[in-house]
Amino acid sequence: MRTAVLKFPGTTCEEDVVKALRLVKAEAEVVKFNSFDPDRYQGVVIPGGFSFGDYLRAGTIAANSEAMKGVREMADQGKLVLGICNGFQILVESGILKGALLPNLKLRFITKWTYVRVSRKDTPFTRGIKDVLLMPIAHAEGRYYLEDEEEARELAVFQYSNPSGLVVEEVNPNGSVQNVAGIANQAGNVIGLMPHPERASFSKLTPDGSTDGLEILRVFGK
Amino acid sequence: MMLTLSSKEMELVRSTLDREPNEAEWKVVDALWSEHCSYKSSKTFLRSLPTTGQGVIMSVEDWQDAGAVDVGDGWALVLKVESHNHPSAVDPYNGAATGVGGILRDIISKGARPIALLDMIRVGGLDAKGKWLLKNIIAGIASYGNSVGVPVVGGELSFDPTYTDNPLVDVACVGVVKASEIVPSVVRTPGLKLVLVGFTGLDGIGGASFASRKLSGMDEIGAVQIADPFAGKILIDATLEVRGKVEAMKDLGGGGLAVAVTEMANGLGARVQLERVPLRVKGMSPEEIIISETQERMLFAVKSENVQEVCRAFEDYNYPCEVIGEIVSEPRITFTYEGKVVVDLPSQLLLSPPLFVWPMNRKVRTEEVKEVSVREALSTILLHPDLGNKEWAYSQFDYEVGVSTLVKPGQADSAVIELPNGRQIAVKGDANQDLCEVDAYECGKAIVAEAFRNLASVGARGIAAVDHLQFGDPRKPEVYQDFVDSIRGISEAAKFFSVPIVGGKVSFHNEDKNGNPIKPTPLIVMAGLVEGKYLKPRVEEGWLVLLGITRNELRGTLFSRLFGGRGEVARARLMEDLLASELIIKAINESKLTWNKDINKGGLAGSLLPILASGHAVHINTKAVIGTRDLLSILFSESGGRFLVLTDDPHWFHIQASRKGIVASTIGKVTKGKASLFLDDVELPLEREVERYLNMLEEELS
Repeated sequence: MRTAVLKFPGTTCEEDVVKALRLVKAEAEVVKFNSFDPDRYQGVVIPGGFSFGDYLRAGTIAANSEAMKGVREMADQGKLVLGICNGFQILVESGILKGALLPNLKLRFITKWTYVRVSRKDTPFTRGIKDVLLMPIAHAEGRYYLEDEEEARELAVFQYSNPSGLVVEEVNPNGSVQNVAGIANQAGNVIGLMPHPERASFSKLTPDGSTDGLEILRVFGK
Repeated sequence: MMLTLSSKEMELVRSTLDREPNEAEWKVVDALWSEHCSYKSSKTFLRSLPTTGQGVIMSVEDWQDAGAVDVGDGWALVLKVESHNHPSAVDPYNGAATGVGGILRDIISKGARPIALLDMIRVGGLDAKGKWLLKNIIAGIASYGNSVGVPVVGGELSFDPTYTDNPLVDVACVGVVKASEIVPSVVRTPGLKLVLVGFTGLDGIGGASFASRKLSGMDEIGAVQIADPFAGKILIDATLEVRGKVEAMKDLGGGGLAVAVTEMANGLGARVQLERVPLRVKGMSPEEIIISETQERMLFAVKSENVQEVCRAFEDYNYPCEVIGEIVSEPRITFTYEGKVVVDLPSQLLLSPPLFVWPMNRKVRTEEVKEVSVREALSTILLHPDLGNKEWAYSQFDYEVGVSTLVKPGQADSAVIELPNGRQIAVKGDANQDLCEVDAYECGKAIVAEAFRNLASVGARGIAAVDHLQFGDPRKPEVYQDFVDSIRGISEAAKFFSVPIVGGKVSFHNEDKNGNPIKPTPLIVMAGLVEGKYLKPRVEEGWLVLLGITRNELRGTLFSRLFGGRGEVARARLMEDLLASELIIKAINESKLTWNKDINKGGLAGSLLPILASGHAVHINTKAVIGTRDLLSILFSESGGRFLVLTDDPHWFHIQASRKGIVASTIGKVTKGKASLFLDDVELPLEREVERYLNMLEEELS
């Protein structure tokens, strides 16, 4: 699948994402925010980083950019949209996904390997994948919030869990409602998540040799 | 603004020029001749460091730039270390953040892509001030490193009252570049255009002088630079885009434009039109523009025909890029403002500050010895924050970005990073203020040896190092003697291990508010190439083998910091370090061990903490420890040349050690269970200490 990996000024993870996407044979390339043509791609990934320095609020300046109008078009056409970390923040800030991402309860940046339970398998990204994935988080503003907790649970695709997939408060790294680590839109073609699948795509980099991130990215290789 | 020039230096300037310089010219001379930029008190001795050797592609020129070594397939590794001690004492967040920004620009100014950062931090303790400093220093480093997408992969954290008023914040960076694409920092031909990117503002006025004197206690916030990591990220991306189109690059650091222009011209001349400098604020005076140390700026020397293309890359990001002048053949540095000459000085004068060799004198040391029981010493040492788990700090860094951090912070004594050519390097920074305080010469050798061992512990052999020499006021004879001694020690060890010192930095005037110098704190950052396999250490049940000889060397250790000196000073017997390191690398390649650690801070006892904290008990037979019968020395001596190894094949180590001419002894075993140390079958429960080890920083600093 022709996949654009969007680079805003301040994006830091674009090359890492391309490297992982090539493992699943996606036709991926880095596209600068000011030269993005949505019609040329079937899928788009908004990688992590600090777009526009995260000035004002994480993701908010990028959310109001021309490039994000293109992403919204793709989302509306049912094309695949994946936002990772800052990309998730941008999707939420632009209103393409519901809710908000608030500062972590500990009010500081946290890097940590986390287990997430896959709570929805009705999306193209999660169809038929394992129940529990191991991926690292790295963020200061990743506390998912939605006023209606029931709705948050329905939208949730990934929830922080223990290694056996139990969603328990002790493993919630940032205070997200319902331990939400990632959500999708109703249709399931747009997903945002705080953990980094591209960092869980190379066995030599993961604590246990797993490559769970590839499970999510694989859809771009089809 | 205070000048730091002495009356003698001022007289020399006047007589060379045969006139009284104007105010702006004094400021330019003051910046160029500052200790920070000129190395006038250190250069004579720095020249003795071994800076060349097999694999060195580029070594220090005038002690300003990053060095580079060959890492195979045409790739070079670029390495640099720097401190931001004084700014961090006044504004720890911005001081530390700009330290990171500065070291990154040092790497990109060689055309190299930064791939990893290290931070080595020293504060007075976990009191209110120490906590304020540490929280902000870590947050500042995290803010910058994370924002630009360069992983902080390791470092050091130490707490010692000597740093109460004057914290040490050292940052190091490694980068990679094709050796054929390294960009020089000096020009060789006139006619090139000087292109400045980035805005110039009012922050960091006179920062080079600020770094070259002791903290005054007065309002010095104006000398601290403000960090803008987003601008830093754009600067990195755009600079690397245009690196093939520029003839020379230099980052603007200490001394601002004055220093960057003069050093880039390197004996040629330069004419700069100050009104062309893009300003962040209105109404800056010409002198302020010349010496401002605003961050996130770079100076390029560019052929006229390439200027447009270079600037286009920056304009893409709305980043200012202007031609501000040119390199000329007449060897004068001239700054004009709207046609009026502001500064006009001979290049040679600026580049030739008088060098000093200050008087030296041996420090008289007295140490009070406190009586202590083994049990009490064990608890106190194991509870010391220097040994505590550092997760609170490194979890604030985005150490996974770049998908190349193979051995991560907290996993081992060195980080391991994958290079673009598929090979792996290990990096580590080491200092030892306890040993340097009692014997700077032995300490100089020991920190090189320790870094070499730390790299070996993950399977790498040191190939290059940079040093950072942090001392008090060089005009004090006791300080200067320690300074010279430590350089001698570093030089000898670097030569012995064939690890050239390819760059470095000196920071003097680190003193407390009463004018007492900090303990001498030279620091080594070493990089090594993995030879074959690398090790991700993991604690499992197995036999404990101790490589090397444990001597009654309790002086200059963490133990003596707490309980006074006993026995002797730990001398660096470099052959023992080399042979033991080689044996560890061999063992890793033959999969003969699951875990190992070089023995250093806190001695054997200190190195047990990671084992005890992983749900294991340790059994030690003290009679099997070779070299001493003294129980305090067995547990706390910091003799070099030693590794503690976990293995299921102790016999292999005995044989291999004996073949190499060193000693290995099976001193005990590790079993699953609660955290207890069985010392000759007497159980010492250590659950409280281990609990505290794991959570100390989190509890104190959250």
